[in-house]
Amino acid sequence: MPADPSRSFKWATIICSVVSIVFLIAAAVRENISADWRARQAAFREILTRKAKDAAARTAARNLPIEIRQVVVPALHAVDRCVTCHLGIDDPRMADQANPHRTHPKRLLTIHRVEKFGCTVCHQGQGAALNFEEAKAEDYFWDYPLLPAKFTEATCASCHNPRALPAGSAGRLVLGAQLYEQKGCGGCHKLNGKGGQLGLPLDNVGLKTKHQFVRTNLKGSQTNWNWLAEHFRDPAGIIPGSLMPVPALSRPQVEALTVFMLSLRQRDLPAEYLAPDKIDEQYARLHPAPPDGAALYRRYCAACHDTGLFSRWDKLFQRFVPGIRNAAFVRAADDESLAVNVREGRPGTPMPGWGPKAGGLSEAELAALVAYMRSSAPAMALPAAPARGDAARGATLFAQNCAGCHGVAGQGLIAPALANPVFQRAATDAFIAQTIRAGRENTPMPAFGRAGFGEAEIGDLLAYIRKWQPAGAAAVALGRQP
Amino acid sequence: MPDLSKRRDFLGLAALWSAVVAMGAALAGVMRLPKPAVLPGPLRIYKLGDPAQYPVGSATRLEAGGFFLLREDRGFHAISSVCTHLGCVVTHTEGEGFACPCHGSRFSTDGSVVGGPAPAGLPWLEIVLSPDGQLQVNAESQVPKGTRLRV
Amino acid sequence: MTPTQEFLQNLKQAPRHIRESMLRNGKMPETDRERSQSTFHNVFFHLQSVRVHRHSLRFAYTFGLGLILTASFVVLTLTGILLMVYYKPGAELAYDSVKDIHFVVPAGRFIRNIHRWGAHLMVLAVFLHMARVFYTGSYKRPREFNWLVGLALLALTLGLSFTGYLLPWDQLAFWAITIGANIASSPREVTDAIGITAWFDPGKLLKQLLLGANYVGQEALIRFYVLHVAVLPLALAALMGVHFWRVRKDGGLSRDETRPAPPARIGDRDVQVFAPNKTYGLMAVVRGRTPEVGRAPEGTVTSWPHLLWAEMAAFMFTIAVTLALSYFFDAPLKEMANPAIPENPAKAPWYFLGLQELVSYSAFMGGVGIPAIVLAGLGLIPYLDRDPRGVGVWFGGPAGRREFWQSLAFGLASVLALLAFTVNFGWLRAWYPTIPQIAIIIVNPATVIVAMYSAWSLWVLRRTGSIRLSAVALFTCFLAGFVVLTAMGSIFRGPNWQFYWWPSQWPTH
Repeated sequence: MPADPSRSFKWATIICSVVSIVFLIAAAVRENISADWRARQAAFREILTRKAKDAAARTAARNLPIEIRQVVVPALHAVDRCVTCHLGIDDPRMADQANPHRTHPKRLLTIHRVEKFGCTVCHQGQGAALNFEEAKAEDYFWDYPLLPAKFTEATCASCHNPRALPAGSAGRLVLGAQLYEQKGCGGCHKLNGKGGQLGLPLDNVGLKTKHQFVRTNLKGSQTNWNWLAEHFRDPAGIIPGSLMPVPALSRPQVEALTVFMLSLRQRDLPAEYLAPDKIDEQYARLHPAPPDGAALYRRYCAACHDTGLFSRWDKLFQRFVPGIRNAAFVRAADDESLAVNVREGRPGTPMPGWGPKAGGLSEAELAALVAYMRSSAPAMALPAAPARGDAARGATLFAQNCAGCHGVAGQGLIAPALANPVFQRAATDAFIAQTIRAGRENTPMPAFGRAGFGEAEIGDLLAYIRKWQPAGAAAVALGRQP
Repeated sequence: MPDLSKRRDFLGLAALWSAVVAMGAALAGVMRLPKPAVLPGPLRIYKLGDPAQYPVGSATRLEAGGFFLLREDRGFHAISSVCTHLGCVVTHTEGEGFACPCHGSRFSTDGSVVGGPAPAGLPWLEIVLSPDGQLQVNAESQVPKGTRLRV
Repeated sequence: MTPTQEFLQNLKQAPRHIRESMLRNGKMPETDRERSQSTFHNVFFHLQSVRVHRHSLRFAYTFGLGLILTASFVVLTLTGILLMVYYKPGAELAYDSVKDIHFVVPAGRFIRNIHRWGAHLMVLAVFLHMARVFYTGSYKRPREFNWLVGLALLALTLGLSFTGYLLPWDQLAFWAITIGANIASSPREVTDAIGITAWFDPGKLLKQLLLGANYVGQEALIRFYVLHVAVLPLALAALMGVHFWRVRKDGGLSRDETRPAPPARIGDRDVQVFAPNKTYGLMAVVRGRTPEVGRAPEGTVTSWPHLLWAEMAAFMFTIAVTLALSYFFDAPLKEMANPAIPENPAKAPWYFLGLQELVSYSAFMGGVGIPAIVLAGLGLIPYLDRDPRGVGVWFGGPAGRREFWQSLAFGLASVLALLAFTVNFGWLRAWYPTIPQIAIIIVNPATVIVAMYSAWSLWVLRRTGSIRLSAVALFTCFLAGFVVLTAMGSIFRGPNWQFYWWPSQWPTH
């Protein structure tokens, strides 16, 4: 009898079929029997049965269906399946249980109903997932992984104004918002259109994904919060060459600032989700209260100028930061020149402009800042400047006496740049002459008048310094005589 | 001449049946797919605000919820506005009851069928006062006719 | 018989009559005649001839690749339809719907995995099938046209895979398709270089036809969806029909007809059969190339059940492999597509990474020029190599086998050397930063390797005087190049398309 030509094909069919059946059964078991959430719901059923007071409750508990549950909130685009495992989240009887069956702490869900808010609007994470690792989603290709408990307060700011929260709620967020003001972060960082330009704008930092952070030097957890915390501890360790001063922060302060950074997120939430104080905050942004000069100074100037009473050596900038509330300076400068300096900054130096087109301050705020600076000393009627003398002699004098600090070309070294268009525009001849003559108390600028400089030398210097003036710019821009 | 094809081909049968079982198992798994494991859409519980804003004798239609909120001197009740015949939305006429525009079913003021092809009356829905004092209708949950909420 | 009795009797026999009318035979076939009828009386089976040559059933000859391809197409069609039940082709919805398929749709995750692994298997099998057909000389007369149909099927398979890649709308998809669409617009490199873009801009036209916009967005998604679920599968199914039909009409699978055939099986006996004894072929008097004409002893067996068993084995093999892979490895799904954050590196599926490596030298040459040259070359093979000898023998005999190994060595060595050179020393622009683009389009590693391979094959032609051998040399070189470039793109390229020995060395970015 000849051999069956199909024999090997039959064997192959059998083997492949058996393999297929094995994997089909394994997949079915994995999905329908051994899925994590089923075990958790069964455990919850046990707890419910144990806690049942009467027969009816016990029957109800025993009949609790084991099924996927979800909270759908169309207004927030949320489909959150967290409640598949966190079954007791709004059940006050589960307060004594361990996670995942525990009641939500602090009775927060009585104010924030689960069916209105869902879970991920506060906690982030992958609401679609049905197991904890993928819901947490730190390593699962998800842009917004679950916030650790200590950082969850960040999302409160989506609907609340962190400056108006009642005492005792969201302490880290409130502290973070305060620290942001106190440490003068706005001096270098723009937020809501206002702030310096040395650092990056911080709007929507809380919405950035981890791929938007430079993580080359980040050790440990690659999450945004770890990046932010490590960066607050050592900015240059995360971003080499960073000019951000190392703030001496305690661990709670680092956490608070991290929470505040994570809270910076403009989500387009429906109005019915916003707390009244949030709406007030948005209103106040459009209709600002009369500006407070001292607060503005602390927010935007103090990070570099400190109190402004003395000039200050800045290690990172490698130069002196002028004392802008220094009485000698303020006395010598009139309001207009102070305002020009603040509005336009000093291009080429770390000092940014603060006018509406640069730092985002309104004219009213600029005026309040100038008034605050003015509070150090009234403007003095300056002695008239000597006539501009011989620029060549002035050049020699400048090289001998001034170039060490102001730079040979007036570019500014440790002292302010004189060959700077804004300086040239803001400073009158009388102001420059008076500064040379009388120096600047509490700063390294000596009084050359007392060191033997006569009005003639000052006039020569003046002529030399004015050679850096952009042609015709000063008079046109300021409408006044140089 | 022995006829091979008459003899049982055990190997062939085993192969055939193993393949049939495998494909059957796959088909069984596949057939489960179209039935959703969890229904989309939000919970159909509606908060309707302060009871005082609804005068006695009023009938308010909640389009999103698919029901009428009615207030009589005996209290509040909610009647589904979905016709029990084939799912059209019924209209309400003061004092006469409800009428379905699709196939002419008519219901009395309490939702009972009085005409047309509808097999059952319009269901009454659960209505409670929420802890913050608002009327709350659960459109997923039916209650016996005549269940009213007194405020 | 009263009318009532007749009615009742008909009612009683209705099941049998229904079965008979449906199956025509109505029972398992027991004789060769019935087996033949089973085949040609069934719309699905009659695509096959009623008898099949024993040589065609030899696993070592075909490796069942054609059947595996058919089976994976069936698997992909079925799983694809199932996925369509839940998939929502909208830029806002697509990603979430795929997440839902992954997490909550019953068996959804498994079915998506099967769809993905089935697709990989199909692409792998289509390449291997082409290589098998080439090396056994099966493209030769009268099968030239079916080789062309096969090339079209290869292109459609890759097109299906490419269009399917966008649908999850994740970062991987978005950036791979962005790159792919810009390859489509790369003819602009040439039109720019010769300065005619303002009048003639095929690159822009191609890109806009593909995307419906200048960027990958909702318009692109819906176009890719329609191509993926309707246009391409229908075209593929139609061409598959043509392919099968031609296999039959061109005389079944190719075989070495100079060798004595194994005995045929008639009834239950193996006998040497001579053509005149067979009558079934008279039904198909077409072009004189049906199996029975002019062939002396032929070893055939009935398709029912022997070919059916082979098909069943290939089908179950495909299913088993995809199921096993799908159980252990999930189909990837990265973050939702974000046009602001490029993936780095943004890699296409593996079978395009050879091209992506070429594209990294010149978008036009790598993405359009060389694929066009390769496709044209492949298409011309059966019309240039018309030597009828060597059909049905691997490599056409010992000379071809030797040529294969030599060409493989040459192909591997030259592409590896060129890649090593490029990785270490860069290319023209690294040495002459101001070099015009047209020079790079013409002279880059991709064109150099094509030139080297062509030169080798011309040399083989001169040395042996055999077009067949030179075709073997060229095909083998390109195969070696394809494998090496694919490995290069998949494994050894990291962020910024830099060379790394292994992905674990990639820097954090």
